[in-house]
Amino acid sequence: MRYAIVGSGVAGTTAAQTIARADPSGEIDLFGGEAYPYYRRPQLWALIAGELEQDALYYRPVDWYAKRGIRLRLGSNVAAIDRDGHRLTMDDGSTSAYDRVLLATGARPFVPPIAGVQKEGVFALRTLDDALAIKAYAQEVESAVVVGGGLLGLETARALNAAGLEVTVVEFYTHLLPRQLDVEGAAVLQALLEEQGLRIITGARTEAVMGNGRASGIKLQGDVQVGGGLILFSTGVRCEVALAKAAGLQTNRGIIVDSHLETSDEDIFAAGDSTEFRGRVYGIIPPAIEQARVAAANMVDPGSASYAGSVPLTILKVAGAELTSIGDSLGQGEDVVALRHMDLPARHYRKLVLQHGRIIGAILLNDRDRAKIVRQLIERGVDVSARGEQLLDDRFDLGSLLH
Amino acid sequence: MEKQECMVCGYIYDPAVGDPDSGIEPGTPWEAVPDDWYCPDCGADKSMFEKIG
Ligand SMILES: Cc1cc2nc3c(=O)[nH]c(=O)nc-3n(C[C@H](O)[C@H](O)[C@H](O)COP(=O)(O)OP(=O)(O)OC[C@H]3O[C@@H](n4cnc5c(N)ncnc54)[C@H](O)[C@@H]3O)c2cc1C
Ligand SMILES: [Zn+2]
Repeated sequence: MRYAIVGSGVAGTTAAQTIARADPSGEIDLFGGEAYPYYRRPQLWALIAGELEQDALYYRPVDWYAKRGIRLRLGSNVAAIDRDGHRLTMDDGSTSAYDRVLLATGARPFVPPIAGVQKEGVFALRTLDDALAIKAYAQEVESAVVVGGGLLGLETARALNAAGLEVTVVEFYTHLLPRQLDVEGAAVLQALLEEQGLRIITGARTEAVMGNGRASGIKLQGDVQVGGGLILFSTGVRCEVALAKAAGLQTNRGIIVDSHLETSDEDIFAAGDSTEFRGRVYGIIPPAIEQARVAAANMVDPGSASYAGSVPLTILKVAGAELTSIGDSLGQGEDVVALRHMDLPARHYRKLVLQHGRIIGAILLNDRDRAKIVRQLIERGVDVSARGEQLLDDRFDLGSLLH
Repeated sequence: MEKQECMVCGYIYDPAVGDPDSGIEPGTPWEAVPDDWYCPDCGADKSMFEKIG
């Protein structure tokens, strides 16, 4: 069997490893558009902050691949899939045969099409090349503006701050972390970040990047100007679906897969940030790994494994505080009830999202023990409807619901 | 004792150190870390860890 994997990020690399274990006699071609062997994107922050050297990023020695019979082809972009002929065509025109192929093409940053984004000093962060360019440029300027106050934007702001820059974060929504937090929780978070030295502006639409050739700041709606020599857009990502679409596979926001991670072609699978499962694009690593494992198992032995979705859990650490969001923490679906406890001066915040008597999401601040229990309650779909407001009470033993 | 590395973020679980903030005492081998434990840095669960080496 000849396997091809397009994309050597975490999904592609995990799949290659899983296939190599399950089918040692199989041939595996792993095509990576980037020039580097696999590294972890979360560590790019440490690189920018100056806490980690580039060499320390690479997770696996280059011979790791060869030892497992994986042909790693770096800097090799797949340009087209010939589904009938079972061949991939590379950028340089060469072709490569496959029996089954995995599309682990990931995602790319989305930068809004506003005036001035092409100026020198404007960046988005996704790849190691991006991080190296940002790190070098940060040495030439004193201050930065991060547009976008999501998880990635805030972590990047912190890294730039650690690299010695003065940083302003500008968020379009009325509050930070709009995908994880509600207004109340974000107020607690903002207070913590400001204590740490970040400047934060919310409810502000970015209209243009200012500067002559080189960026010098941004202009907000209402003619407010925010100075900064480095402008970092952290305004979301778009699934990399072009290859799949051109091949006539079913796509929406992402490449559409079923519970076997199979696309609309039975010999083509997809996993990771490029992929949409039951209307959901997760955009984080643990689901990418889970999907890659399932896809790989099915590439080796069709129908042998299935995926039922993930309960994402993310952590943001700020100024000694730990903010955990689990599952559907915003709860915007139908029949959703949110229970909340908040005490701003004490920096307390706790929120549970319920639907039809079951917890589907939560946000917790400095509360790891409870987070572990809540995650289990979500995963197991435990009926908690009899408990009501008690669920938020410190005196109530949440863990007792697991037994 | 063998260390384990988080595939997501690179955090290293060292049995000699444990993870006292999550109630895991120093000296706890990987096998004895409960299944509901998760990476203190990124939230990944135990299945996202690999033996170092
Ligand atoms: C700075 C940063 C920090 C992050 N931190 C976290 C975190 O702490 N926790 C978390 O869970 N998630 C985090 N994320 C998100 C996480 O990185 C993604 O969820 C993850 O990278 C998805 O993996 P993937 O393999 O699907 O895609 P990617 O990592 O995007 O890899 C896809 C690869 O495919 C290549 N490719 C695309 N098209 C082709 C083609 N046609 N031919 C050949 N190669 C191709 C691309 O060049 C790329 O290298 C972070 C992201 C960033 C940018
Ligand atoms: Zn981790």
